[in-house]
Amino acid sequence: MTIAAHCLSLSKIYGDGDTRVTALDAVDVEITAQQFTAIMGPSGSGKTTLMHCLAGLDSVSSGQVWIGDTDLSQLSDKDLTRLRRDSVGFVFQAFNLVPTLTALENITLPMDIAGRKPDQEWLDTVITTVGLGDRLKHRPSELSGGQQQRVACARALASRPTIVFADEPTGNLDSKSGAEVLGFLRKSVDEFGQTIVMVTHDPNAASYADRVIFLADGHVVDEMFNPTSASVLERMKAFDSKRA
Amino acid sequence: MFRAALRSLGQHKVRLLLTLLAVVVGVAFVAGTFIFTDSLKQSFDALFNAPQPDVTVSADSAFATGGQGGGPGSGAEQVPTVPASLLPSVASVNGVAAAYGVVTSTGALVLGKNGKPVGTAGPPARGISWLPDSSINSISLVAGRAPTGPHEVALLEATSTLADAGVGDSVAIETPAGHLTATVVGLVSRGIGGSDGGTLTVFDVPTAQKQMLGNTDTFTSIAVKADPGVDQDVLARRIAATLPAHTKVQTGAQRSADIANRLQTAFGFINTFLLAFALIALFVAIFLIFNTFSMLVAQRTRELALLRAVGASRGQVRQSVLAEAAILGVIAAAVGVLGGIVVSQGLRLLLGVFGANLPAAPLVIQPRTIIVSLILGVGITLISAYIPARRAARVPPIAAMRDDVSLPSKNLRIRGIIGIVLVLIAVLTAVSATRHLDDNLRATQLVGLSAICALTGVIALAPILGRWFIGLFGAPLRRHAIGNLAVENGRRNPRRTAATATALAIGLALMTAIGVLAASTKASVASVVDDTIGADYIILGANFQPFRPDVYQAVKNTPGTSTVTFTRQLPLSVGDSQGVLTGIESGKFQKVFSLTMDSGSADNLLPGDAIVDSDTANKLGLTLGQNVPVDYVNGPGFLILRGTYKPAGPITGWIADIQTLTDAGGRDLDSAVYIRSASGADPAAVRASLDQELAAFPAVKLQDQASLKDQINQQFDRVFGFIYALLALAVIVAFLGIINTLALSVFERRREVGLLRAVGTSRAQIRRMVVIESILIALFGALVGIALGLIYGILFRKVLESVGITQLAIPTGQLTWFIILAVVGGVVAALWPAFTASRLDVLKAIATD
Ligand SMILES: Nc1ncnc2c1ncn2[C@@H]1O[C@H](COP(=O)(O)OP(=O)(O)OP(=O)(O)O)[C@@H](O)[C@H]1O
Ligand SMILES: [Mg+2]
Repeated sequence: MTIAAHCLSLSKIYGDGDTRVTALDAVDVEITAQQFTAIMGPSGSGKTTLMHCLAGLDSVSSGQVWIGDTDLSQLSDKDLTRLRRDSVGFVFQAFNLVPTLTALENITLPMDIAGRKPDQEWLDTVITTVGLGDRLKHRPSELSGGQQQRVACARALASRPTIVFADEPTGNLDSKSGAEVLGFLRKSVDEFGQTIVMVTHDPNAASYADRVIFLADGHVVDEMFNPTSASVLERMKAFDSKRA
Repeated sequence: MFRAALRSLGQHKVRLLLTLLAVVVGVAFVAGTFIFTDSLKQSFDALFNAPQPDVTVSADSAFATGGQGGGPGSGAEQVPTVPASLLPSVASVNGVAAAYGVVTSTGALVLGKNGKPVGTAGPPARGISWLPDSSINSISLVAGRAPTGPHEVALLEATSTLADAGVGDSVAIETPAGHLTATVVGLVSRGIGGSDGGTLTVFDVPTAQKQMLGNTDTFTSIAVKADPGVDQDVLARRIAATLPAHTKVQTGAQRSADIANRLQTAFGFINTFLLAFALIALFVAIFLIFNTFSMLVAQRTRELALLRAVGASRGQVRQSVLAEAAILGVIAAAVGVLGGIVVSQGLRLLLGVFGANLPAAPLVIQPRTIIVSLILGVGITLISAYIPARRAARVPPIAAMRDDVSLPSKNLRIRGIIGIVLVLIAVLTAVSATRHLDDNLRATQLVGLSAICALTGVIALAPILGRWFIGLFGAPLRRHAIGNLAVENGRRNPRRTAATATALAIGLALMTAIGVLAASTKASVASVVDDTIGADYIILGANFQPFRPDVYQAVKNTPGTSTVTFTRQLPLSVGDSQGVLTGIESGKFQKVFSLTMDSGSADNLLPGDAIVDSDTANKLGLTLGQNVPVDYVNGPGFLILRGTYKPAGPITGWIADIQTLTDAGGRDLDSAVYIRSASGADPAAVRASLDQELAAFPAVKLQDQASLKDQINQQFDRVFGFIYALLALAVIVAFLGIINTLALSVFERRREVGLLRAVGTSRAQIRRMVVIESILIALFGALVGIALGLIYGILFRKVLESVGITQLAIPTGQLTWFIILAVVGGVVAALWPAFTASRLDVLKAIATD
């Protein structure tokens, strides 16, 4: 099993003195390639921070992060940008799309920026899978929230990145739209061998993953393979009672 | 609400600073104009308090102000004189303490170390006599002593600096009487009326008479000092009673009033002229302020909606926005007044660069200046903020709960219809103007009206045109993602793009129209020179001053020439209209100058015969063969009209044989010498011989046709250069507007920029995106402006055809420069916003709060 990304004793500290917050405290995580990994934990536990650090969007306070064989701490802003463009895909909770571009243009944006021609066959596959065939020429404002998130997913996958990060991609969606998006992510792992890391609060969403990593107070506290919503829910209740 | 307004201002410092800057620039220019002209006026008032004669006796002629005239190219310098024999009789009048002969004339060219006359073409080079009584002498010594004897002079301080000759140095001077080398024994400061930037040389009285008038039995005036307690008016009447006809007696007060009047008119004009440009800059600023407030309101939609939701009324929301504008306006106006001081000094410098040398002036800031600046600053800001304020008031309270809100805005259809109607009116008035070309004033007014309609029409249509334009011009850029994003950004808010671009368009439209007129004027001059001047060379006085006939004598037998002839000029007046009489050598002149006769003939002009241009003939209602009574400087005379010619070329007005001028008392000074080469002569050889002959005459310049055109063009370039410099102000404000718009857009789109960065857009690409958007906006503004400017430049040219702008020329080179500058300006304007955008924190930008 190859490792798509990993970090060693990764710490992230915000602020100074009184306002000092240790968002991540010496975290070690390995993300296995061609797997769907979910990150869960209570609010403020450091999920988003971990994801941003793994993706090279944020700097780390100490420790190291690799994507594939690349040590992110060695990269300049320029190289990091290129890495994000070519090797990482993103899906944010909201505001994922450039409002002036059509759905299709949004999907091909990273490749367009790179000046690369998208692999048409792959693109077609992604678009078909995401199920937006007749909506490609529409602007984001003309799409529903679920459709927008699916476009964002398609964008994240279109350039065949080493790894895709998604921060609560279904947070703003109703259960049906959420299911569509999650189904798509699952499919991209199963059928196309993608690697996906998803932050979520929702046990049901986590049940789509192959593995769940549990964070609390900046520490990895547990992990679970082949989760179901019931098992995840149970585990989370256990945390809550421990904390209480 | 007021506190909320203050706090909100504090939160948008940088952007407000730009808005502030736009108002400040406009207000500073208005204030600066007032300060500048008030200060000048004050300095003239100070001049009136300088000592001057209680009574002045001079020749009664339409040319009593002789020394003041002589604009570029007129060359018609002739001094009205009174006989020196009048001096004792004036001196003996009861109540006269003392009477002095005075000489004030032009044509004393001070030569610099390089042997060329110093000073600029235009203002006259005066030579005057020293008035020994300091209590009535408006000129005062600031260094050294007064000149005595034929080889001493005093110079105006500025002249001494120009000639690099201080007290004790020797200086060469060309006077109407000849060449003179004298020692500078003193430096003087300017007196009344000597403030136009010309040079000034002071001689003692006999030397001034000899050098300037060529004789010792006349003066240009007699200065009288009254006995203590004698009233000026009474004394003037007593003196007048003893004098022969054709003499004029003026009191000191009358002279002051005369000069004051002249200056008032001149500076009233400058004031109006400068204010016009200030208002253009302010008008452009309106767009900027409007945009800023629109965007500030848009950004605060949620906050405003929240205010509404918690119970603020529409009025209160509107007032809070207007209060912000008012605070801004007051600050800007206050800073603007301070800026005005800088601008007033800048205007002095600018006018200096373009040839006018102004007297040192104290800084005068009148209450009026401050009041007008405040009213303008606050007024303009409030007007520009009113529509955004109204729009803000219409924000529905529920907008507070929605995520992506856009302000309610009317769609563009109404604007489009208004725009089309205005453009149609513009077209109709323009067409009607071309039908009324014979009525100059009417046609000009119609074109002006059409221009205003077209401008407002285009402003109304700009959002629609802008979308279309940016789509069209941006099409090739869309092939790349960054270009595509930039084009879409340019199109997404058409009103904002339009307001930003039209600000630039206004400035460039004016510059283009002026450019077309300038180029056309020059082309017309060139074509006139080609059509009329048959001479290969022309000798003209440096700075267009008349020169001694020795020059003609020296060149008339130059080998390789076929015709050499000279002209002289003499001012004359017919009825109320003043003109110039050019004396020619009949027969010879026609070989070097082609006159197209409308009636009669220019051949065989006998003494007393004259021809005149058709315009003058029509204006005065003259008929062929008529005996026309005219006034010369030294008295009345007659001219018999023998023909009329088409007005064209450097010579206009009356033309007669040289003998006629001599009979009328003209000075023996030539205004030009025309030289035609013999056919087959080697031009280089002819030129060389002429240059050799003229080496002894530094006060004249040998021109060929090309250099003549250049010299005339330079005069126009100066005027047009000055106008450009003033219009540049409006363009600068427009570019401030582009910076502002981009900065605000970047701020509004910071999330989007963050997203783009997150998915792999490099900083350089973000910068490029902003720069391309900026260039597109600037290009749109520039092309609209240039198009409008071209249309109206061409129309105005057409209307002005009858006043001599017969050729149409499009300054394509210049227009290309405008476009290049617009692009460069667009890039420069985008630098800071682009930098900000590229430095945006990716994570903050995409944070979901
Ligand atoms: N920019 C920042 N400055 C200071 N502290 C921060 C910053 N970003 C996050 N934090 C703090 O770091 C900790 C981890 O934050 P993070 O956003 O990673 O949590 P999370 O697990 O994603 O929470 P949620 O489920 O609410 O999204 C929190 O205590 C948060 O307050
Ligand atoms: Mg989070």
